[in-house]
Amino acid sequence: MNRRWAGVWALAGMLLGGVSMSAHHSFAAEFDINKPVTLSGTVTKIEWVNPHVYVFLDVRDAAGKVTPWSLSSLGPAAARRAGVTRSSFGQGETVTVLAYHAKDGSNFGFMRRMTFADGHSIELWLGDDAVKQ
Amino acid sequence: MTNMLSAAAAAMLLTGAITAAQTTPASPRTQDGQVDLNGIWGVAPLPPAVKAGDSVRWLLPLKGVNPEGTDVFKGLDRWQVDARAAAPNKPEYKPELLQKVKELSDKQGVLDPAFYCKPQGVPRMGPPTQIVQTPGQVVFLYGASNLFRVIPADGRPHRADADPSYMGDSIGRFEGDTLVVDVTNFNDDTWLGSDGYYHTEAMHVVERLRREGDAIIYTATVEDPAVLAKPWTTTPRTLKRSTSASDALLEAPPCVEHDAPHIVTLDHH
Repeated sequence: MNRRWAGVWALAGMLLGGVSMSAHHSFAAEFDINKPVTLSGTVTKIEWVNPHVYVFLDVRDAAGKVTPWSLSSLGPAAARRAGVTRSSFGQGETVTVLAYHAKDGSNFGFMRRMTFADGHSIELWLGDDAVKQ
Repeated sequence: MTNMLSAAAAAMLLTGAITAAQTTPASPRTQDGQVDLNGIWGVAPLPPAVKAGDSVRWLLPLKGVNPEGTDVFKGLDRWQVDARAAAPNKPEYKPELLQKVKELSDKQGVLDPAFYCKPQGVPRMGPPTQIVQTPGQVVFLYGASNLFRVIPADGRPHRADADPSYMGDSIGRFEGDTLVVDVTNFNDDTWLGSDGYYHTEAMHVVERLRREGDAIIYTATVEDPAVLAKPWTTTPRTLKRSTSASDALLEAPPCVEHDAPHIVTLDHH
């Protein structure tokens, strides 16, 4: 690992560890990594709260039926420091979201990526390949 | 002649000042002569993020975790567990209580009081993000949680009219470059850390904030003879002083727990 990415590791350690703003529950206890879902819909509400930001989405299927979903993300303080603000999450816009379905089967998931109509996206990149970005 | 005397006096003063500086580099002082701890301290660095146009890729590098694989969440959970397991400095419980600590730790995902938006309390909440000092009083502000502690430092004793609480009752005193905060009157609804480290209402905490140049060194020592085999002192944290306007404290969003009803396994975090 070169020096530059060693610094990134240290940052990530602080981000996830010593500076955690609120206690987070286990992700694996709640979301199923084997159940990724792609949802297209309209952002109806953004709850900018601790310990996780929540985005509410009205998902419309091919028959026009609307199903409300809620999506969890990381915390607002970490988001702010990454330059992601409340207005980044597209209130009222039509978006496509990649999320991981909650293990309890409810219309709830952990949001990994939100893609907007103009093609831009907000993505949470988790894993080793981050060092190759 | 007068000029010569003045020059000699100035030289003596200068020599004295240099001697003092060499022996004890004085930390900044407040107007009432105490060590100056005013300021915003220990701001976390920016997390790595890659921007391209309006797009943001927010990076959480997890060593050994394939970002396209199926161990992402376990990797995310494991990060902190591994870091804590590797840390040699842990509170030492009485032998007969180790099983209870393990049971609490195993069920941490549902039992940790801090998961339900309760304050992490002293000492788990760590050092303040801003300190405001006035003569005889120090105020700790915790920007991440909108919490505060008003700490008298004028020689008065602990107050007797308060209920036990998450952050306890604090009194402070100055010892040279160190502010010593004595904290009592806790409730038992906090843990010392994520691994089942419970305590009783008899807990007594002494925090030390020592100014060293442009930093504060923070430790907390926990005594709770009912559960701990011996007092435990946290690993010292070095908090750099921030001078950036963008680090000024903001109102923190409230804590609203949505996740608890969806937790279906006891995975530890």
